[in-house]
Formats: sequence, structure tokens, C-alpha cells
Amino acid sequence: MPDAAHIVIDRVSHEYRPARRRPVLALDDVSLAVGEREFLALLGPSGCGKSTLLYLVGGFLPVEQGAIRVEGRAVDGPGPDRGIVFQHFALFPWKTVMQNVLYGLEKKGLPREERLRVAREFIELVGLAGFEDSYPAQLSGGMKQRAAIARTLAIDPSILLMDEPFGALDAQTRSLMQAELLRIWQRSRKTVIFVTHDVQEAVFLAERIAVMSARPGHIKEIVEARFDRANPELLRSRQFVEMVDHVWNLVRGEAILAERSGAA
Amino acid sequence: MSEIETRFLAPPAATGIRLDLTGAVTRRAGAIVPLLAVIVAWEAASRSGIVTPFLLPPISAVLGRVWEDAISGELALNLGQTLFRSLAGFAIAGAGGVALGILMARRRWVRWFFDPIVSVGFPMPKIAFLPIFMLWLGLYDVSKISMAVFNAIFPVITATIAAAEGVDRPLLWSARSLGASERQLLREIILPAALPQILTGLQVALPISMIVMIVTEMMMGGQGLGGAMIAASRFADSPGVFAGIVEIAVAGLCLVKGIALLRGRLLAWHQETQEPTTV
Repeated sequence: MPDAAHIVIDRVSHEYRPARRRPVLALDDVSLAVGEREFLALLGPSGCGKSTLLYLVGGFLPVEQGAIRVEGRAVDGPGPDRGIVFQHFALFPWKTVMQNVLYGLEKKGLPREERLRVAREFIELVGLAGFEDSYPAQLSGGMKQRAAIARTLAIDPSILLMDEPFGALDAQTRSLMQAELLRIWQRSRKTVIFVTHDVQEAVFLAERIAVMSARPGHIKEIVEARFDRANPELLRSRQFVEMVDHVWNLVRGEAILAERSGAA
Repeated sequence: MSEIETRFLAPPAATGIRLDLTGAVTRRAGAIVPLLAVIVAWEAASRSGIVTPFLLPPISAVLGRVWEDAISGELALNLGQTLFRSLAGFAIAGAGGVALGILMARRRWVRWFFDPIVSVGFPMPKIAFLPIFMLWLGLYDVSKISMAVFNAIFPVITATIAAAEGVDRPLLWSARSLGASERQLLREIILPAALPQILTGLQVALPISMIVMIVTEMMMGGQGLGGAMIAASRFADSPGVFAGIVEIAVAGLCLVKGIALLRGRLLAWHQETQEPTTV
């Protein structure tokens, strides 16, 4: 178990009420604690409510049933303590890489020199040095996501919320970015909630994996996946392969259910 | 180096650029040919005696008249009046329409109040309000500009609402989590994110403003290209009337090209400017 709970999700349910259609129960009685500096993956089939849970923690959706507390305080709207990275990057397309990264730093009220220094530092950290003046439309998918990660990390949130951040990238770029994210996480040691439907990605990145059921989503099982991630042979190790297999078996049944119910 | 040699030696990328350039030149030239055809046909028709010069004065005479107007300062005066009033109307409609559109998209009570009004107003023939505007605001700039605003503001409002509503949630959420307040979202995120579609609305509104100004000037009289045309027609001055048409056409074309140029400038960051288009 985590040493100290950074994020507490306490019996949260969430219902979507689309206009002129029946309400959809997206989350059903979810409880979960995420420790300080922990890397937790939320894994589940599409439509299981894992992104919804992330948005609730982010404060983008109102918590209507149950409670979510971050550092003991109930979540009430978005805040710079919880940075978010989206699947489709959500960069401001009219701003250059530099201006994107500067945006949050301006809001923080840092003096100009300091803003530029921090922005350069994080652009360098994600390997985008030399692309400061490029617009997002001029970058590849992987580079866009690097820019988005730099923008989020620059304001130094204690929590990093990642919503299938590598889902829109091709396979090679994705595995590069996964290794890169681990490197960055080990340096900055933030609390991470990482939403994915990719079993191998979850096992490779996360210390704990919360496997979610098909809609209405609830936590089916929490799997510990603590490996020595410095080991270059990790992906081929028996321990790793068995863990992927185990988690895949947990998800499989739910994926079939989600498919049958036509979850979309 | 000969032409053929250059062609063979040029790397494929350069060939592509060459072809594009030739394409652009061909397109430009292509746009002039049909216009020239109309001009030649016009001149031929009026010189051949099929129609009397009163019904259709030869274009050479019309252009001569435009030149006379230019020399006498008449053209600058009338064109200046019309442009000033159209652009003033356009500017007010643009600023007001964008502000109202964004608020309607983001503030429920603003939407509640204005939505029915805009729905009724949009398809209405607003030119029919001309007598009322004359009655209320008189015959001078205020009423003419108001008429242009009234006509041009609707496409701006509807384009802005659609654009502001279409802004991606993750974009707004990113800004919020980076520390932007709900108020800051409007100006710093929603407005620039909606800009491409807003500009499309403005590109529709600009010619509307000009068209309405000409019609309004024709109805109300006074200075301006529309007023000058009506005056010419009262004196059975048919080259004068046609000169007005030519002046309006050229001015309108310049305005439309100008705003398209502005679009390219403002959207330098946008995909449409980054990628070479085939159109």
C-alpha cells in the first residue's frame, strides 16, 4: 500500500445526463487511494469510465456522489496542483511551443526572466530544444505530446493526470515516449494517475494498476506491479510477461462485456 | 543552363515548387480571361449597334468616365464616403457580433435572451427596415451605418456562436488547470481558438456591409457611390451609372481580397496556412 494517501477517491459514482436521452451511469461506487509519488494506472475497456474518474480528480467534472480529496481537501474545480495531459495534446495551436509552456508560468505570476528560464529547462527536459518557436501544426504527434508534457510539468503540479497520453501515437513513438515518461517521472517523482486501455503499457509504467470493469465502471482489482525498471531486459523477463498475462486475463472478460453492450 | 537541362537536373522537391508556381500563374491568368471576354463582348455589343449607347454605353466610354471622376475628385469623395461607412458598419458589426456570439455561447442567460431574437432576425430581409431607420435616425451617416451594422452583424454572431461552442473541452480544461480563470478563458482561449471560423463569418459580413451601404445610399441619396449612381440615373446619364457599377466592383474586389490577406496573416499558426493547399 502507498505510504501516505495523496489522493483519496471515496465511494464516487457519476452519471452522465445527455439531453433527451436516458442517463448513463459511468462510475459506480469507486473507492481508491493513491499514494504520494505513486504511479498508478487506471486500466479498463473503452467506455468503462476511467477517463471520467480522471476528469473528476482533475476537477473538470463536478463530484456529485461521494468525495474526492487531494491532500485532505475536497476537489472543487481545476487547479495547478493537478496537471493534465490529454490524448490529443490540447496544445494551444495559435501559440508556439515556447508560448504554450509559458502560459501556465504567466498564470503563476513568475517574473519574466524566471518564466523563460523554467520554460527552457522543461522544453529541454522533454527533448524539444530547437523547436521553441515552432507552432503545434508544424510538429509530429510525438513532439506535440512532448510539448504538452513540458507545458504541464513546467508549473510543477504535485499530481500528473494522464488521459491515454500515448494513445494517438504510432507504436514506435509510443514505446519511446513510455521510456521517456519513466525517466522524467523518476527525476520529478510526481504522483501520477495514468489512464490507458493498453495492458502492456500499464504494466510497464505503473507501480499499481487499478483494473476497472465494463460500464458502469468500478474497481475490479488492484494489481501491484513493482519491477526494477532500470533493467533493460525487463520487457522480456518472465516476471513481466506473466504479469501482463495476468492483467490481460482480468481485463479480457470486461472487454468482451463492453463490446457486447455496445459501449460507445 | 538551358530550360531542358534545368528541368532534368532539378531535384524533385524543386520541381514541385516550380510546378506550383506555374500553376499559380496559370490560375491568375485564367481568372483574367473570362473577365476580358465579358469586357470585349460588352464593347462589341455596344459598338455594333445591337443596343443603343444609352442602354449600354461602351466600356471604353465608361472607363473614360471613371477616369474623369478620378481627376475631378468626385470619385475619391464618393468612394471615400461609401468605404468609410461600409467599413465603420463592418467594424461595429464585427466587434459587436464577436462579443455577443462568444457570450451567447458561454453564458446561459445571454443565450436565453438573444437566441430567439437572433433566430427571428437572421432570415429576415433586413433591408425592409430602411424606412424605419430613415424615420428614426434620419438620412445621414448614423442611419446608413446602422443599416449596415444591422445587416452584417447576423453572420458574425452565428459564426462566432458555432465556433465558440466547438472549442475542444480538453483545450479549455488544459487552460483551467494551468491556472486560467473562467473569465480569462473567453479572451485568451476561446477567442483565438474560434478565430478561423469567426474570420469566415467576417468574410461574409464585409461584402454584406458594402452591398447594404450601396443600396442604402441609393434609397437615401447624398454622397457615396450609391447616391452618385442614383443621381446619374435621374439625369439619364447612363455612362455615369455604369461607371458607378465598375467602381463598386473594383472596390468590392479589393475589400474581399484584403480581408482574405488579413486572414492569412492572422492564421499564420493555423493548419490551413501551414499545409500547401491544392485549391
